[in-house]
Amino acid sequence: MAKIEFRNVVKRFGKVEVIPDMNLVIEDGEFVALLGPSGCGKSTSLFMLAGIYVPSGGELLFDGHVVNEVEARDRNVGIVFQSYALYPHMSVRDNILFPLRFKKTPHEEALGRVKAAAELVRVAELLERRPSELSGGQQQRVALARALVKEPQLLLLDEPLSNLDATLRLSMRTEIKSLQEKLGVTTVLVTHDQIEATTMADRIICMRAGRIEQIGTPDDLYLRPSSLFVASFIGSPPINLIAGEAQSGTVTVNGARFPIEGASGAVTVGLRPEHLKFGDAGFVGRIAQIEPMGREILYVVETNIGTVRVLEQGSSAGYPLGEEVKIGFLPGHSLVFETARQKLIAGAHVRAPA
Amino acid sequence: MAGEAISTATTAPEPLADWDALAARARNLRRTKAVVLYAFLIAVSLPIILPYFWLVTIAFSAKTGVAETAVLWRSMAVVVPTVIALWLAAAFAQSRRQTWIGMAVIAAVAVIAFTLLVGPDLHVGNFIFLWEPDFASVVRSRIGEVKGAVQFPNVWHAFANSILIAGAQTAIVVTVASLAAYYLSRFQFPGRSAMLRSLLVLHAFPVMTLIVPMFLMLYWIGLLDTLAGVILVLVAFELPFAIFIMKGFFDAVPWDIEMSALTDGASRRQAFLKIVLPQVRNGILAIAVFTFIRGWEEYIFVFTFLIRNTNWTMSLYMYWARDDVMGVDYGVVSAVGVFYLVPSLILYMAAQRYLMQMSIGGVKG
Repeated sequence: MAKIEFRNVVKRFGKVEVIPDMNLVIEDGEFVALLGPSGCGKSTSLFMLAGIYVPSGGELLFDGHVVNEVEARDRNVGIVFQSYALYPHMSVRDNILFPLRFKKTPHEEALGRVKAAAELVRVAELLERRPSELSGGQQQRVALARALVKEPQLLLLDEPLSNLDATLRLSMRTEIKSLQEKLGVTTVLVTHDQIEATTMADRIICMRAGRIEQIGTPDDLYLRPSSLFVASFIGSPPINLIAGEAQSGTVTVNGARFPIEGASGAVTVGLRPEHLKFGDAGFVGRIAQIEPMGREILYVVETNIGTVRVLEQGSSAGYPLGEEVKIGFLPGHSLVFETARQKLIAGAHVRAPA
Repeated sequence: MAGEAISTATTAPEPLADWDALAARARNLRRTKAVVLYAFLIAVSLPIILPYFWLVTIAFSAKTGVAETAVLWRSMAVVVPTVIALWLAAAFAQSRRQTWIGMAVIAAVAVIAFTLLVGPDLHVGNFIFLWEPDFASVVRSRIGEVKGAVQFPNVWHAFANSILIAGAQTAIVVTVASLAAYYLSRFQFPGRSAMLRSLLVLHAFPVMTLIVPMFLMLYWIGLLDTLAGVILVLVAFELPFAIFIMKGFFDAVPWDIEMSALTDGASRRQAFLKIVLPQVRNGILAIAVFTFIRGWEEYIFVFTFLIRNTNWTMSLYMYWARDDVMGVDYGVVSAVGVFYLVPSLILYMAAQRYLMQMSIGGVKG
């Protein structure tokens, strides 16, 4: 188990600076997610942790020791890849055994640990098979067993669920999470899927273009996004963003007037679909599309401030297509961002027009 | 949707077209295509099979000083109907079982006919060179012409030389090509793309154009008339293509499993040997077989660079056998040919499975 620290870490490939300056502390036993769109530097960070990439600058610390130059094989890090990366020419047993071969573990003990690891992820009955004879979920478990058998001080998960089907993803999510809690191993999950990040991780590190946008609990990122990027990246269906000009306590967008507190100038108002309610007051629109999602219904509403998504509870549509509606919301649910800097203006709120 | 379509079709009162006529037309078209295909297959397979068949028949039947072709015609009378019958069996069999039974019956009939028509003429006397190094003199003495026979080495000596050249060439090419291709596939370095392009260009040159400079070079370094010299030249010409093929195989091995091996505690060398190499096993087998056969059949370079008869390879032995006794006994020449052919045949048959995979695997991995 280890405490991980990035101190001013820089990574360049040739002239391209993928990570300009990264500072991050991951506590011992913590489960964190590196979340961001593809190309944001999250996998590069992961490979630096694994020791496959060497940082171009700054310091990477495991338990207070600089490990920049320490080779991958000496770091005692377990890694699970999106493709699982099982060795195709070896049986499941030999796959799980492989890391122990380099640790000079006595053969009897090694076999015992392979068995224990296989039982932990429930693949004990598959030990004689080849990876090609396993289903995606089973391969995933074997990859986990291989990563865990050497009792790593750090477990790295690189998009581990992307190749699984939806049902399996759900159960693996729960399984990985409870496994991590049981073993208490420091874990870093890399993903572009916000649901994976919010459901599994204790803390989420949201990245964009090599920089950390926000670090916080899933709640922090969802309810108090520090920037427009985080607000629009987290949440499904995505947040509604309305850009306007705030002057003397009112934001005016295409004739609609929203009273505002605590901000002025060019602002962008963020309203989550589930916080919008149809009612007697609010801004006016016409229902253009209805998308039933099971427990909820998503209405796409054309308004004079643009297309707005509204999420209503219930399983049958209460409002027909083409209906004129009024949309309201609680001021506490509104988020106000400074358009120029794309940052949240703390304490600022808008109200729905009367 | 699909359910609806089917139910409307079955409950439709009147069929819209004459389905039987359409089905008959499709059936006829299929039959015509099959007939044309099998006629083509018979036409192209006969000229390929016949020469090899004749070579073997002559090697086992011809006699010194006799230019007799009746045996060949009789053997042809067996082979041609057999080949046609085999294709027809393949064409008309309704099941795999029928195909096998049909082919077995045809083969049995062919063997019986061959034994009756050609059998009495068969003998192994033409393989005299296997136990008599000075076979040329013996063969010539049968027709009373003894002078001027070429001094042949023991055929097993030539056989060993050929194995040595082909084997050493294969070992060097496989080792160097795997290492070079791995590096080219995995590492960025200045001049990488230029190197890859020049690999292809090298292969485009006709090697014959280099024969005189090569001769001079070998002469100056003192490797002329040595097996080592020929091995080096052959390795140099085979390497570019082998590297190119191997690079394709290495490219198809995902990075992930290598990185996984590194984090699992393997060094770069261990990851290469234990994880990456097993993934490209088919590629290594393929270039090994091709390189070995190239070395085995090599003629121009050994003819130019090897002079002493103790350095002869099988191809040179074959050349001199043809040169010396062809006019006297073409049966012996054919027998040498059969002897020369057998190792490549065995190798091809043993490695066929992997060679087939290369034509598929080389592209998609």
